[in-house]
Amino acid sequence: MSPTPYVELHCHSAYSFLDGVSLPEELAGRAVELGHEALALTDHNSVSGSMELAQTAADYGLRAIHGAEIDLAGGRDDRAPGYQPRGRASDRPARPHVTLLVEDERGWRNLCRVLTIAHAHTRGNGSPPTRRELGEPSISAEAIAAHAEGLVCLTGCARRSVLGEQGEGGTSDPARGRTVRTLLEGFGPERLYVELQRPYARDDRARNRAFAAAARRLGLRTVASGDVHAHSASRAELQDAFVALRHRLTLDASEPLRRGNRSHVMTTPRAMASRFADHPEAVAETVVLADRLRFDLTKDLGYRYPGAEEDGASRRLAELCAVRLAERYGPRAPSAARARGSEAERRLREELQVIDKLGLAGFFLLHHEMLELAREVAVEVRGPGSVRALLAPGRGRGSSVSSLVCYLTGLSHIDPVENDLTLGRFLHEDLHGLPDIDLDFPRDIRERLIPRVHDRFGRDRAALVAAFPTYRVRGAVRELGKVLGLPPGEIERIARGADPWGPAAESGEVDFASGRHERDSAERDSDRRSSRWRWLRRLVEEAQGLPRHLSQHSGGMIIATRPLIDCCPVVPAAMEGRQMVHWDKDSCADAGFLKIDLLGLGMLSAVERCVEEVHRQKGERIDLSRIPFDDPETFRAIRAADTVGVFQIESRAQMQSLLRTRPRNLDDVTIQVAIVRPGPIQGGAVNPYIKRLQRLREDPGYQIPYDHPSLEPVLKETLGTIIFQDQVMQVAEAFAGFTPGEADGLRRAMSRKRSGEMLRRHRERFIEGAMRHSDAPLEVAERVWQMVEGFAGFGFPKAHSAAFGLLAYQSTWLRVHHGPEFLCALLNEQPMGFYAPDSLVHEAQNRDIAILGLDVNSSEVLCTVQNGAVRLGLGYVKGVAETEMHELVAERERGGRYRALGELAARSGCRRVTLEQLAWSGACDGLLPKESRSYGAHHRADRRTALWQLGMASPAQGIDQAAEPGREDAKAGAVASRKAGWQLALPFEEHAPPPLRELGRWQRLIADYSTSGVTIGDHAMAVLRPRLVAHRLVTSAQLARLPSGCEIALAGLVIARQRPGTANGTTFLLFEDEFGTVNLIVPRQVFERRRHLARAEPMLLARGRLERHQEGARRLGDGEVIEPDGEPIRPVINLLVSELEALERYVDGALDEHGDAGATVHALPRGPGETAVEEADGAEVGSSMRAVAPPIQSFARGRRR
Amino acid sequence: MARALNAPRPARVRWGEGLPAEVDGEPVEAMRESWLVEDRWWDAHPLRRRYWELIGVRGRNIVVFHDLDTGRWYVQR
Repeated sequence: MSPTPYVELHCHSAYSFLDGVSLPEELAGRAVELGHEALALTDHNSVSGSMELAQTAADYGLRAIHGAEIDLAGGRDDRAPGYQPRGRASDRPARPHVTLLVEDERGWRNLCRVLTIAHAHTRGNGSPPTRRELGEPSISAEAIAAHAEGLVCLTGCARRSVLGEQGEGGTSDPARGRTVRTLLEGFGPERLYVELQRPYARDDRARNRAFAAAARRLGLRTVASGDVHAHSASRAELQDAFVALRHRLTLDASEPLRRGNRSHVMTTPRAMASRFADHPEAVAETVVLADRLRFDLTKDLGYRYPGAEEDGASRRLAELCAVRLAERYGPRAPSAARARGSEAERRLREELQVIDKLGLAGFFLLHHEMLELAREVAVEVRGPGSVRALLAPGRGRGSSVSSLVCYLTGLSHIDPVENDLTLGRFLHEDLHGLPDIDLDFPRDIRERLIPRVHDRFGRDRAALVAAFPTYRVRGAVRELGKVLGLPPGEIERIARGADPWGPAAESGEVDFASGRHERDSAERDSDRRSSRWRWLRRLVEEAQGLPRHLSQHSGGMIIATRPLIDCCPVVPAAMEGRQMVHWDKDSCADAGFLKIDLLGLGMLSAVERCVEEVHRQKGERIDLSRIPFDDPETFRAIRAADTVGVFQIESRAQMQSLLRTRPRNLDDVTIQVAIVRPGPIQGGAVNPYIKRLQRLREDPGYQIPYDHPSLEPVLKETLGTIIFQDQVMQVAEAFAGFTPGEADGLRRAMSRKRSGEMLRRHRERFIEGAMRHSDAPLEVAERVWQMVEGFAGFGFPKAHSAAFGLLAYQSTWLRVHHGPEFLCALLNEQPMGFYAPDSLVHEAQNRDIAILGLDVNSSEVLCTVQNGAVRLGLGYVKGVAETEMHELVAERERGGRYRALGELAARSGCRRVTLEQLAWSGACDGLLPKESRSYGAHHRADRRTALWQLGMASPAQGIDQAAEPGREDAKAGAVASRKAGWQLALPFEEHAPPPLRELGRWQRLIADYSTSGVTIGDHAMAVLRPRLVAHRLVTSAQLARLPSGCEIALAGLVIARQRPGTANGTTFLLFEDEFGTVNLIVPRQVFERRRHLARAEPMLLARGRLERHQEGARRLGDGEVIEPDGEPIRPVINLLVSELEALERYVDGALDEHGDAGATVHALPRGPGETAVEEADGAEVGSSMRAVAPPIQSFARGRRR
Repeated sequence: MARALNAPRPARVRWGEGLPAEVDGEPVEAMRESWLVEDRWWDAHPLRRRYWELIGVRGRNIVVFHDLDTGRWYVQR
C-alpha cells in the first residue's frame, strides 16, 4: 500500500460542544475505514475528548495526534472577568483561532497550561452568587507564545484565521500583524504554519492564494487541513442544526453562519489531497508534520497522588491499623468482636501484604487523611455540642466496604469480618490501576469539604472530575425543534410526552408526534411542515448520547503531588470555590489518576436531621451505630413494605419485592438492596431467587439447583443466582478459571461504555476456560455465560449493598420509632427519594401522624415537630424568596407574635405578592379576628377574608442601601437581605369584609397545591369521590378483599411513573387515593394508545384486572395468609391496566357542595392563580388540577438518593 | 408581474476536464472559484448545487451551477 498522501490535522468532535457531531470513537473508527493512518483531534478550547481518542485509536491501530483549537483574546468581546457580551453571538466580532498541536510531553504540559489560562476567567459572578455563569474561553497570543515549547501552531481555520479573512495579518492589518509576529517569535518559523482549508465556500481559492502569499512573505510553510466536524455524512445535517443552536437562531435564519455544504464530513486522504490540487506542498506538509507529532497520551503523564512514593507509608499504615485493631477486636471490645479477633488479625496481615505489594499504602493513608479532614469540617458544620457529633462524618460505599483496612482507618463502617465480605473486587494482586473508594457525606458537610480539599492539597493540585451530560430525547426535541422553526406549543407537547430517558428510536416519540401532527394539519402546508417533523425525528436520534456540555462529576476528586495542570487542564466549575479537570471519570481512570469520590447523600443528611430533631424533642441521644440491628418492629415494617421514605427499599418495585422476599435480618436487607437493579433483573436472577427462597422457607431440606458444582460456594448465599457484582468475578474465577485480574477486567468491560469488543473477547475466554477448568459441557458453559452477561447492566457489589442495606435499616428504624421526626427530616431535605412531599405527607397521615398547616405564627422556615405533630415550614411556600421567610420568622422572634394581618404586613417586611401567597396558602388564617371568621357564616371563607384584609393593609417600605436609591430590587427576590432597614407602615384599623363566598374543598385543595405543593386537608379523591360515576369503581382500600382476577375501575392521583429499560416498554404508574397507593401495570399497547394521558395527566381513571398474589406458608380459612409464626403476609397487589382515561370525564355535575347560596356572592378577592369559576365541574377539575398538581416523580435511570 | 431578481436560467454547458468548458456557446477561459451549496435540507425544496465562477473568452464573469439532484445546468448571472 502506498503511504498516505494526507494526514488530517484539524478535526472536531462533539466535545467542541455544538460545533462537532461525532464522538472520538466514531471519528477514529471512520478514519481507519477511510484509510487514514493518523488523526489529530483539535476541539475548541478543550481536550475533553483526547483520552477517549487516544484509547480507541490504540485499539483501532490509528495514531492519535492531540491538540486544540484555541480562541485568541484581544477582540472586542474581551473585557474584565465576568464580562458577558450583549447581543447575539452572531452579531459580535469573531475572535481569531489558532490550532495547537502537541509534539512531545512538554507540548502536552504547555497545552494543558494554555487551556487552563484560557478558561481561568470564564466564570463570572452569576446569580445566585454561588453559581457562576459561563463565559467564553480565550487567551492572548503572548500567553500562547510563552508556552510554545513542544507545541506546533497553525494559523487557524478559514474564517477565523489569525491572518484575517484575506491574509491581511501578513500585510496591512497592524493588530493582526502584531499577533502574527508574537506567535512567530514564540514558535519560530519551524513550528508556525499557515493553515489552508478548502471548505468549498465561494471565496476559498482567493483566500488560499492570499494565505500562501502571506506565508511566503513571512517565511512560513503552509499546511492543509480539513476542519472535520462529522465522521459520516449522516451527521452533516446535525452539524448545521448545532451551528444554528449555538447562535440561538433557526436554521432559516442562520445561513451566513453555516458552512452551507458537507465539506466538513471526514473523507479519504486521497480526496483531501485532490481538494488542494493548487497547493500540493501544503498537502505534503501534513504528512511531514504529522510525523513529528509523536506525543502518546496513553503513556505515563507523570501523575502521582500524594503519598504514592512515600517511604515509610507501609509502616505508618500498619501501625495505624494495629492500634485500631486492638480497639475494635481487643480485650476492651464486645465479646462478639473479640471472638473474631484472630480472624481479623489474619485478614489484616493478608490485606497489608497485598497493599504493600501493590504499593498502595500511601493511597490508603491519603483517604484516611481525607476523612480526618472531613471530621474537622463536620465539627464546624454540625457545631461542637451537636448530637450529630455521634455520627461519623461520612461513610464508605462501594466495594471498599469489603476491606478491613478501610474499616480500621474509618473509611468504612461495616465490619467485613463479621459480614463475611470478600476483598476480590476491591483489592487483588493483579490489580491494574487503583481501587475505588467512594465516601458518602451528608450534603452540608460535602459542600464545605470540597473547597477545603482544594485548600489542603493546593488549588493547582486538586480538582473535581468532569462529567458530560448527554443529549436525551426531551432536551433534544426542545432545542432541535426550535432550530427547525417548529411551533413552540407543539414542540413542548412532544417534549413533555417524550420519555425523558428512553432512546428516541425505540419509543418512537417523535414519530408518533409527527404522524399525529400530519393528520392534524393536513390542510395547512402539511408537506413543508411534515418534512421538518421528519427531520426533527432524524436529528433527535442522531443527537442522542452526544455530550451536551462540560459539567462536574457528582463528587469525584483528583489529587496530585505535582500541579495537575501539567497533566490535564483545570477549569473553574459552576460553583464558587470549585474547579475541575477537562476529563470525565473514564478518561481520568485511563490516565491513571486517583479519583476519590466525595458524594453527597441526601438520606445521610435526613438521618442526621432526624437524630437532631429527636434530641430536640425528646432529649434522646441516638447513636445509629449502636441501635439494635434485630429490632422486630423494624423488620415487621420492612416485611410489610411499610417503608415509604426510607433509604433504597421505598420504591414501588422495592416494596413489591419486599412482600415476596420478606427479609428477616440485615443480610436479607443487603440482598434486597441489590436485587432491584438492572443487573440481576436482566440476568434473570430475581424470580429464581425469590422462588427458591420461598421453597427453602417452606422446606428447609430443599436442594438449590446449581448449574455446576463449582458455582455452589460462590452463589450459595444468593441461592444459585448472581445478584452481586462481585459474584460475576467469583463465577469467572471458580467456574472459568480466570485470575483475579482477568475477572476484574471482565467486570470493568461490563461496566464501561466503550466495551463491546472487549466483552466478546472475554466471552471466548470464559467458555473455553469453563470447559477446560471445570470440565463443563459447552451448553452449561454458555448458560452460565448468559447469566454473567445478562448481569452486564448495572449491579451493586455486595460490600456496597451491605453499606446501603445498613442505612436502609437505620432509616427504617427511625421511621418506626420516631415517625414524626423522620418525616420532618425528609420534608426538610427535599428533593430526595422516590416520593414527592405531598405523597409523604398523605402516607404519614394514613399512619396517624398529625400534620399541621402553614401558620405565620407557628411555622419556622423549615418543617418542625411540635408536640408530636409535624408543622409545615414557611420554606414550602412557593414563589417567595427564602430570605423573606427568614426575615418574617426573625421579626416574630424579635417583636413577638403577629396579632393581625395589618401588623404582619407592617412588620414582616414581606412584599405584597408574598403576603398574598401566604394568605392564599392558609398561613394567615390564624390572624383573623374571631368574629370575622364567621362573616361568611363558615370558617372556610378564611383565606378570602385574609386576602381582602391584606388588600387594605400597607406593607412596610424597605429603606434601600445607600448605593442605588430607588432601584427596582423587588423582582430580584432577595429584598430583605439588601435593605438597610424598614419604614414601618402604621397599622390600620381593620375593616370587616363584606360576606365572601366560602372556599370549597376543591378550591382549597387547588390553593394548597398552587401555594405550597402540599395539601394536608382532604385528598383530591376524597373530594371528588361523591361525584365520581363509573362502572365497577372501587377504592384502594377495597382491593385486598376483592377476588383476584376481577375487572375493576380505579381513580387516583398519579404520584410516580416508571418506564424501566428492563421492562420491554411496560410502564408502571403509582396511583394514590384517599386510602393509600396502588401499583398499576400499563402494557406497551395501552401506553402507546394513551401515551399523553399516561405521561402528563395527574388524575386518571384506570380500568383493568386486579392481580393479587399472596405467597406464604399457610392459608387460613378466611383467605388470610400467614407465616409459620403467625405473622400475616400482605398480598402483592397490581392493577393490570386495559384502559386509561382522564378522570375529569367521570366527574358528574358541579363540585362545590359548600356553596352558600344564601349569602351575597362576591367574586373577589380571588386567590393568586384562581380561576373565575366558582363551581368546578369535571372539565374545570381537570384543568385546575393540571396546572398545580405536584410533579409526577418520573424515574428510569438515576434518581436522587 | 413580479419577477425574482437574479433567478437562475437554464444553461447549455459543455463539460471539460473537471470544469465547464463552454457555457451557452461561450468557451471558458479561466475558473475563478468553485463552491458547493448543500443547504435547506430541512425544507421541502432542498438545494444541492455545485457552482463555478468562470471567465468567458469575451472577458465576461459567468456564474453557473450544476443541480446535483436533477443534473441540470443553470446560469445565475
